[in-house]
Amino acid sequence: MSNLAELSITEAGEKLIAGEITSLQLAEACLAEIEKREGAIHAYLEVFADVREQAKHADERRAAGENHPLLGIPLAIKDNILIEGRVASAASKMLENYVAAYDATIIQKLKDAGAVFIGRTNMDEFAHGSSTENSAFGPTKNPHDESRVPGGSSGGSAAAVAGCMALGALGTDTGGSIREPASFTGLVGLKPTYGAVSRSGLIAMGSSLDQAGPLTRTVEDAELIFNVIKGKDTLDSTTIDEETYPKRSAGKKIGVPRHLLQDGLDRDVLERFESSLDTLRAGGYEIVDVELPLSGLALAVYYVIMPAEVSTNLARFDGVRYGLSRKGDSLFEDYAKTRGEGFGPEARRRIMLGTYVLSAGYYDAYFGKATSARRELRAEVERVLSSVDLIATPTTTSAATKIGEKTEDPLAMYLLDIFTVTANLTGNPAISVPMGTVEREGKELPVGIQFTAAHGDEAALFAAGKALQ
Amino acid sequence: MISREEVLNLATLARLKLGEGEVAALQKDISSILEYVGQVSAVEGKGIKATPQSHNVMRLDVPYKEGAMMLGKRDVLLKAFPVREGDYNVVRKIIQKDE
Repeated sequence: MSNLAELSITEAGEKLIAGEITSLQLAEACLAEIEKREGAIHAYLEVFADVREQAKHADERRAAGENHPLLGIPLAIKDNILIEGRVASAASKMLENYVAAYDATIIQKLKDAGAVFIGRTNMDEFAHGSSTENSAFGPTKNPHDESRVPGGSSGGSAAAVAGCMALGALGTDTGGSIREPASFTGLVGLKPTYGAVSRSGLIAMGSSLDQAGPLTRTVEDAELIFNVIKGKDTLDSTTIDEETYPKRSAGKKIGVPRHLLQDGLDRDVLERFESSLDTLRAGGYEIVDVELPLSGLALAVYYVIMPAEVSTNLARFDGVRYGLSRKGDSLFEDYAKTRGEGFGPEARRRIMLGTYVLSAGYYDAYFGKATSARRELRAEVERVLSSVDLIATPTTTSAATKIGEKTEDPLAMYLLDIFTVTANLTGNPAISVPMGTVEREGKELPVGIQFTAAHGDEAALFAAGKALQ
Repeated sequence: MISREEVLNLATLARLKLGEGEVAALQKDISSILEYVGQVSAVEGKGIKATPQSHNVMRLDVPYKEGAMMLGKRDVLLKAFPVREGDYNVVRKIIQKDE
């Protein structure tokens, strides 16, 4: 038997059901990889001490007759998702010692299914970033080239799966934080329809944008995890049910906004994209040109709305009830010192920016305009998706960047999200699927293709993704 | 470029103590980001606060199982207090006598 830690979830699940392997063996295989690679990669903020106990418990459940496809599957969990009794720090000094009092709904669902949690993964602090360099606890390295970033903000989750230190992972995606690291590490990453997956028990970033979703080795695995974690939840009033959006018949027409691919894109990334389109054509898909004139504005709209929501969501961290607490000479000083020390530079920058765009005198010019533009953008995407079933672009303009390459210029870092933010602004589901590799300095680096579908139509994403595998 | 005073005022509004040297860096960063996102002001319309697509999310006023999520979690919540005396969270006295 080759390395069990390299199996897809679906393959491992079949072997578990057939009794060929045990959950304990799977967990041991992942722990062995962690022993070998984690020192260099730093995918995890904590590898749980009770992984073997969890795996044994899963084996006992199987012996008692259970056989859920996720029973005994080792998963890595992003550090902004609450697991009862364990630290959830969002990779921030602010929550370094915060112990979750309850399970996130998606964690409860995974526990019911019998998944084994290997550990909590590194991320950009409070999910602010596209490289995992903004973690308060040091950057994560890309398993394909350790001098490069794994993407972000779910970079630890991506590196854990790509480095065979877990079979799959959960991430969260506010502007591309699942899809971009999936692209940079050769994985499948799904950002579900806004509201498809409960956010109860997630540390919020941008509440009108956030969704949790899987990072996996195959499309089947992503579909499997999505089907377990999705669903309406009384603890999250933004969740939707199966009837919220009309059912669409399965179609095979893909729109490509070629006007967005004219410049700013690496030539070989574009070549991989074109050859992926050829594969899809051979699989019976029809490829047509579509126009998305407003999407050029999407990133600007995103970088108004997101910091506004970040500054609002992070206002709760005041050192009074939990988390870091620093004392000054006055109540104001208590707050300012706690927040000044607890938040890292990027979180502080976004809070400041959000405060600016929401302040009297600027609100209409920035937040008001961005909100209008967002509605126009959503209408535009819906119009396009009434004539095609999917929109395809590369997930990112380039392969993984070097560590430190973009940290000096926040705007350059923000531009990494150019293709991914639209789906968060419009609420559409989107997936990144590997489309081959490009060579950089003698190393083969993965790149991904992104599909966006109509609201509620994750099925179309999975179908197109499978056609590419 | 936004001024030093504006940055300091934003920091006060946001309850953030900034490090030495951070003010100048933020003047530069925020200005370049604002210049980029300023594209949104070209959008037609006057920042109309259009009604979001909405539906009723109010739950029925009856006991329900999930509402009991925090039942039995009292000790965990108490343990999270930064400064604790018995079962009390110690906070700064904010109502003081005028001097």
